[in-house]
Amino acid sequence: MSLLFDLSALSSAPFWINVGLLAAIYGIFTAGLQLNVGFTGMYNFAQAGFMAVGAYAMAIVTISFHWSFWLALPVSALVSIGFALIVGIPTLRLRGDYFAIATIAFSETIRYAIQNGGSFTGGTQGLLGFNAAWQTVSSWMMSELSLPSDYFLVPLLIVGWLSFLIVLLLLTGLQRTPWGRVLRAIREDEDAARALGKRVFAYKLQSLALAAVLASASGWILALDLSYLSPDEFLPDNTFIAFTILLVGGLGSYTGVLIASIAMETLLEGTRTIGFSLSDTQLASLRFMIVGALLILIVVIRPQGLFGKRAEMKIRR
Amino acid sequence: MSVPRESPILRVEELRKSFGGVAAVAGATFDVLPGSMTALIGPNGAGKTTAFDLISGFVRPDAGRVIFASRTIGGRAPEAIARHGLVRTFQLTRVFRAMTVRENLLVGSQRHPGERLLHGALRPLAARRHERAAARQADEILESFGLAAHCNELADNLSGGQRKLVELARVVMARPKLVLLDEPFAGVNPTLTKELLLHIKRLRDEGITVLFVEHDLDLVMGHADHVIVMASGSVLASGPPDLIRKDERVLEAYIGIETS
Repeated sequence: MSLLFDLSALSSAPFWINVGLLAAIYGIFTAGLQLNVGFTGMYNFAQAGFMAVGAYAMAIVTISFHWSFWLALPVSALVSIGFALIVGIPTLRLRGDYFAIATIAFSETIRYAIQNGGSFTGGTQGLLGFNAAWQTVSSWMMSELSLPSDYFLVPLLIVGWLSFLIVLLLLTGLQRTPWGRVLRAIREDEDAARALGKRVFAYKLQSLALAAVLASASGWILALDLSYLSPDEFLPDNTFIAFTILLVGGLGSYTGVLIASIAMETLLEGTRTIGFSLSDTQLASLRFMIVGALLILIVVIRPQGLFGKRAEMKIRR
Repeated sequence: MSVPRESPILRVEELRKSFGGVAAVAGATFDVLPGSMTALIGPNGAGKTTAFDLISGFVRPDAGRVIFASRTIGGRAPEAIARHGLVRTFQLTRVFRAMTVRENLLVGSQRHPGERLLHGALRPLAARRHERAAARQADEILESFGLAAHCNELADNLSGGQRKLVELARVVMARPKLVLLDEPFAGVNPTLTKELLLHIKRLRDEGITVLFVEHDLDLVMGHADHVIVMASGSVLASGPPDLIRKDERVLEAYIGIETS
């Protein structure tokens, strides 16, 4: 009798290395979203677009301009800030729901632009050859830690998780500053904040720009994980999954992002171990069914999420 | 109209605003004297709230000028106007609900270096110093408003009356030159009305000019220094309560309607 679930995969190290790496990537990605949605009240649906901008800017600067990979990182962060301003300046004055629509349109525009960018972006063929500098570091770490070769993703896992934890600590600290307090005031009541002299537009731009930088950072790690870049990696699905992580973890909680990104990636990757002979497209649909069911479950049982506060989740106006 | 003896802190000249052909404010002109507690009254639809929105920058005027503390502020952004020292409240109480009472007040603090991302990061000491001073000030204000016991509670958990107090305390925290209070006593029980009135009078005694919208004429006549009467978008009369009480146009347009 064959089992429905091949549970042996769950005890294999590569499975958990992969889950851990994806949790760090989407954790950083979602942390930026938490800053926007949970703490500023902005429904940013462009996070996958910013991730693409960061990853592609890094790759293009390295491949086409022959700059150092390490220099390409801050440069691509600046590029993503530039894109955040381009998206934010015309759209942030829109009402919340229109802003959401405008950002999702931007995200898709970026993806299509990359798809049709010819040799500059690699088009649908994708880009290769930006990770030589990282490979050097990775091999050095492998030998220092004397890891067997099928643990080749462990160096990236370590770097990814260090980055994720630093990001969470920084954001938590930032939220405790008077700056973070103004963000929450904007989330609660934008007009009341303006009536007290707060430059709401500037705060929203800053919040969006920071989220864009975090999205690009997650894009770099994803690019190094895959060793290539393709526009298909930056579908809006990434943003939707991140929103699920956000709601499961709870709005306004970075601990929630930490726990829920691990839980979500375990669940999503775990579905790959299902013993049915499913095609890739069937599996992708199944994954979304799971995400949907999880969302419904959370909204019904615990609408504030695992770590959210009830008072903070009320949607206003 | 009475001739002002000193130069006004707020001068509104020929202010106009129409919404889809309906003139909400149709050439309103009035002055508010510094240090006064001025009431803005008028029947429903007279344009009082629209006038507030125009003065505070939340709605752009079609025409006319607003001069506040010798600066033309008409058409500027609300946050810029607030920074000049003109702070308003709203008809429906607007507190930051998922924030504590103390945090609500701290957001009212002006020119806080810690509220600027780079400034806060590069000069953390200045930010911390300001934050400490602001916290002290907030605690004093909370004490005087009788809210000290609630300082760490979420504003969402307070009663409607307490929220009104928090909103007013937050305005005090901003140390404005002029406050616009849109119906501060609406839906408030008599005890709280007295309390709010006391706080508002204390604002005036501290040199903050108060302009407020109110429907209760006894309250207005008994406590305001100066009354501006609006009807159909323009100013019908303006003067001390005793004169307004006797003004025939006012009796006809406002009180006549009210008492009929």
